[in-house]
Amino acid sequence: MKPNLLTLRIQRFNKEKDPSGWIEPFEVEVRKGMNLLEALLRIQDEQDRGLAFRYSCRGAVCGSCAMRVNGKDVLACRTHVEDLLEKPALIEPLPLFPVTRDLIVDMSAFFDRYRKMEPYLQAKPISPQVEYPMEEEKRKEIDPYINCILCGICFGTCPAFEKDSEFLGPAMLAKAYRFLVDPRDRRNEEILRAVNHQQGVWGCKTVFNCVKVCPKQVPPTYAIVKMRNRVLWYRIRHLISPSQPFGRFFS
Amino acid sequence: MEILSHDILIIGGGLAGLRAAIEAKRSGRDVAILSKVHPLRSHSVAAQGGINAALGNASTPAKDTWENHAFDTIKGSDYLADQDAVEAMCREAMERVIEMEHWGTLFSRTEDGKIAQRPFGGAGFPRACYAADRTGHNLLHTLYEQVVGLRIPVYEEWYALSLVIQEGRCVGALCLHFFEGRIVPFRAKAIILATGGYGRIYLRSTNAVINTGSGSFLAYQAGIALEDMEFIQFHPTSLYGTNILITEGARGEGGYLINARGERFMERYAPHLMELGPRDIVARGTQTEIDQGRGFEGGYVHLDLRHLGREKIMERLPGIRQITVDFAGVDPILESIPIQPAQHYSMGGIPTNADGETELPGLFAAGECACVSVHGANRLGGNSLLETLVFGERAGRKAAEQAGKEKKIPEEMIFRERLGAFQSRLDGIFGRKGEEPSFLIRDEMKAMMTSRVGIFREESGLLAARGKIQELKKRFLKTGLKQKGLAFNNELVQHWELEGMLHLAEAIVEGALARKESRGSHFRADYPKRDDEHWLRHTLAFKTEEGVRLDYKKVSITSYPPKERTY
Repeated sequence: MKPNLLTLRIQRFNKEKDPSGWIEPFEVEVRKGMNLLEALLRIQDEQDRGLAFRYSCRGAVCGSCAMRVNGKDVLACRTHVEDLLEKPALIEPLPLFPVTRDLIVDMSAFFDRYRKMEPYLQAKPISPQVEYPMEEEKRKEIDPYINCILCGICFGTCPAFEKDSEFLGPAMLAKAYRFLVDPRDRRNEEILRAVNHQQGVWGCKTVFNCVKVCPKQVPPTYAIVKMRNRVLWYRIRHLISPSQPFGRFFS
Repeated sequence: MEILSHDILIIGGGLAGLRAAIEAKRSGRDVAILSKVHPLRSHSVAAQGGINAALGNASTPAKDTWENHAFDTIKGSDYLADQDAVEAMCREAMERVIEMEHWGTLFSRTEDGKIAQRPFGGAGFPRACYAADRTGHNLLHTLYEQVVGLRIPVYEEWYALSLVIQEGRCVGALCLHFFEGRIVPFRAKAIILATGGYGRIYLRSTNAVINTGSGSFLAYQAGIALEDMEFIQFHPTSLYGTNILITEGARGEGGYLINARGERFMERYAPHLMELGPRDIVARGTQTEIDQGRGFEGGYVHLDLRHLGREKIMERLPGIRQITVDFAGVDPILESIPIQPAQHYSMGGIPTNADGETELPGLFAAGECACVSVHGANRLGGNSLLETLVFGERAGRKAAEQAGKEKKIPEEMIFRERLGAFQSRLDGIFGRKGEEPSFLIRDEMKAMMTSRVGIFREESGLLAARGKIQELKKRFLKTGLKQKGLAFNNELVQHWELEGMLHLAEAIVEGALARKESRGSHFRADYPKRDDEHWLRHTLAFKTEEGVRLDYKKVSITSYPPKERTY
């Protein structure tokens, strides 16, 4: 293989053409600093106008171009092709989600879970003229979970789905935690109840795969462990004093 | 024939579109959003540095006011902004920002727990409210969360192809379901265009790949003039190589611009504000250094943040660090960032009043695709996010009010007719035996716009640009499509978007050729002075069979008479 030639073996899928899918090799000339998204766009222009994949910001902030590259789930725009030159690189759609066409997957199950979390601030009352006071330290505590771009990468690497395909998933549990620790949100018990089951925080295997693969350094496992602790704390309090406000929480 | 009906259809799911949808929904209307990408993939998500509002939270000797904000904006616009619209925006800024905070946006905080504000270019006070350097991400996710909470339907990965106009009123649009390959007419009492900018007309742009200006072209094609198209903002600091944005907030936090000789060169161009001059001036300064051989080989200079220290960079500019590490292999804690100017924003667009109404009844526009005009010849950093929220809210409210009054329901016949006409146009395109693929034309257009219609312009270059556009338009008519069918047809969508981009580029070039003065972002090397006597007016570009026809309209001036602009 020529050193400046990139070979991509792309998993194709087109229901009408071949419902079992096929792998198609493409070669692209490499430019200095080129990333995988640019290479795919080049292929789409020059070699196969039908090649389907999602893209938007090309700066790793929009979450469109998540895909599997040599078995690892990544954002294409953030993947340097220099790292893929050694041998032909296998490009596949994200796992777990049904494939729509080529590298495009149907993420509706992902966003159904998102909606299930009621992911909008349910605020305590305040005058419309002023902001909620918040310590910068508190903001920093929430911030890592806010940075999630909902790209779906954490789902593919999470072993909890093997046991239960209805697992809420790392991104959604991080989202739940983001509202749980936000002092502006009046919910507490509701959020914990929504995650206190085998398809929620108790389904997690705490292997930290999601933390390792997240392109935005969101740490869902930490959120999950913290929520488990809160749930346990409520349980213990219930044992000691069953008349506490949250006493009936888990009965 | 399938036909979908809503009181209000919003085309575009970025900040302006979502904010408009929320307001229209809260007014009790049946609202839907249609977007070519999932709303969270919109370009708004990439905004970094901040959103302006005169909250006065920073500790300064005098307290900031909305009037100060208005003055800075008008001066920044080189006096081309419509001052009544600017005043409305600055007056409502505080309410819009506080509202976002109440909906969950996680703004950075001052020591006393208020929304933190940082200095931004051309602003007399630290006025840009920020969420670290991911302000757009934070705002967009917050608004999308509200949209989910209000259960507003979103047609994701649909394209709006054509507006349906009947008896001088916009009554709907023909839209393509990209995955299923169906063109479906939408019937609506009001349509709000919120499709963003058209930075991808340029080779070097900070914009997302999806920013093709399709909404602006929908309006232009429908006979609406486009306003002030020659005013294109070039951001001084895009990452060398990929042109990904490096926020003005980096300079707001104290970053220096340094040339290859190690000089803080802004001393030559804005001796008082230095790196925090307005964008047009800093971009020209930076480009001048590069052009005159004081840049680094390849055409860039340095943005130096090292003196800010690790802690400040990690706390205030973590996203920037992530970008420079990921995309340039540079850690700003240890090294300077290589930067060059790149196209960033489109001040021009679809003319609207301060309620988002266009001259076509039933059609509204908001956000970057609109020209209210609050930015005039040069937008200040932190004002585009603000514009999306203020005018998204206003457009949503007004559209809801008008949709409530509109009792006439257009007959199905008109949609059937338009769909038929559109289908035969498509058959024509599909039937053509193409001589060349359209991406070659796209790439030539982009290179030409960056080289001839960039930061510095002059007549000879603009005439060459005019000639090139005519050539590209002719060649475009001979391009064909290899992909058949409508489902997943990237080629068709890109072909159709390219047609629009060529027309928008033509309007930019013609406006720039005619405007024989320098104002804000439009700098004519052959006419380097501002000329209020002849050119204190907005350009209007109409699409005709023969090409662009130009006209002009008055600038609205309330309390700030034009003055010389120094920083």
